[in-house]
Amino acid sequence: MQADDVFRQQLLGVIPRLRRYARSLVFDSPAADDLVQTTLERALAHWHQFDQRRDLLVWVLSIAHNAHLDQRRRDARLSVVDPERASADQDAQGGDPGVDVGLRIDLVQALARLSPEQREPLLLVSVEQLTYAECAEVLRIPVGTVMSRVSRARASLRQFLDGSERSAGAAGPRGLRRVI
Amino acid sequence: MTTDERPDDALLSAWLDGEVEGSECARIEAWLQAHPDDAARVRLWAADRDALRARFSATLDEPVPERLAQAVWRRGRVAAGGPWLQAVAAVLLLGVGVAIGAWWRGGAARDAQQASGSPAWTQRAAVAHAVYSPEERHPVEVSVREGDAASQREQEQHLSRWLTRRLSVPVKLFDLRSEGFELVGGRLLPDANGPSAQLMYQDAMGQRVTVYLRKADREASAAFRYDRRGDLGMFYWVEGLCGYALVGPQPRERLLALAEAIAKQDQPPSR
Repeated sequence: MQADDVFRQQLLGVIPRLRRYARSLVFDSPAADDLVQTTLERALAHWHQFDQRRDLLVWVLSIAHNAHLDQRRRDARLSVVDPERASADQDAQGGDPGVDVGLRIDLVQALARLSPEQREPLLLVSVEQLTYAECAEVLRIPVGTVMSRVSRARASLRQFLDGSERSAGAAGPRGLRRVI
Repeated sequence: MTTDERPDDALLSAWLDGEVEGSECARIEAWLQAHPDDAARVRLWAADRDALRARFSATLDEPVPERLAQAVWRRGRVAAGGPWLQAVAAVLLLGVGVAIGAWWRGGAARDAQQASGSPAWTQRAAVAHAVYSPEERHPVEVSVREGDAASQREQEQHLSRWLTRRLSVPVKLFDLRSEGFELVGGRLLPDANGPSAQLMYQDAMGQRVTVYLRKADREASAAFRYDRRGDLGMFYWVEGLCGYALVGPQPRERLLALAEAIAKQDQPPSR
């Protein structure tokens, strides 16, 4: 069917952004690609439900959000990411010559410590640059909730980053582990 | 809400995301100008946002793994027309990979060039260009293109004052309209030893160039130097206390004309 193939091509086009979101959500990159694959399969299974006037990325991200939620419910391991492991995985992926290494480890660790309820809207707004309305659509929560969760996520992230800077001299990075 | 009532953090955060409009937006901007502590907090949020974006955007450069492309083409697909569309898909994938990856793939070569003499800060200028110039929604942190001419002039003055204060060198917003480029706005960035700034310009075709400014390590003067890395060209030089790098995908002569226009405007007015 013609529309089907057009849809598949559109779907191919959003894979890089979908992978970025999955990676920022799951940290472990094979697990992130599993999430992307599940999302793509679900999108194809329900492609006739997609309204072509809408933004495909927003629709696909909402599928990814649901798939991630299912995964978290099914597999508790994914909901508790060891921040040290996460940063080691991130380092193994390399790339990103523009960011200072010390900052990067702190940032990923801090991000991993946010609750999924705070992390998701923060990532959708900050990294994926969705509007609050789009973010609300993806997560199926009211716009006002997006606004308060993003704000709280920013405050928590800052608190973690400031805290880790302070403890870096005394307790070292392992000090973080205690709290998790 | 009255004008002197403190905006809560949720509102400040929404303002940072471009979610606050009209008079409310103006009120928050006035509040931030008058309350440096709040402004500093919002700047930290913005820095975290930029760091998150930079941290994860490397994923965009990676080629799409075969199994994911297969997942899209395989499922429930009839054979008719298959090979042709697979070819289209392959070309599309290649296109995405080439377009996004072109600059980053120069990474290894870039490190080699580092040894040959380009200062490290020019690499930061090129990375900043690669990260921000494709942005559609938030290409700059402070835009100078909103509202009428009067408010645009106000935004320009604000941007120039703000960057000058943070960099501790005079930041002038160069007028490149004679070369066909309009100022979009600017942003503050981290350099090795302190803040640096990026100004972004755009021509009628939507092509962008960025000017990276940093306080020089010592007062010096260095002639124009040219460097090309993959799809991006760069002219960089040092004048007085300020290092400049002009980055863009344009051909060398075009970049040179822009760099000369900038250097000319940077001369102190003769009396």
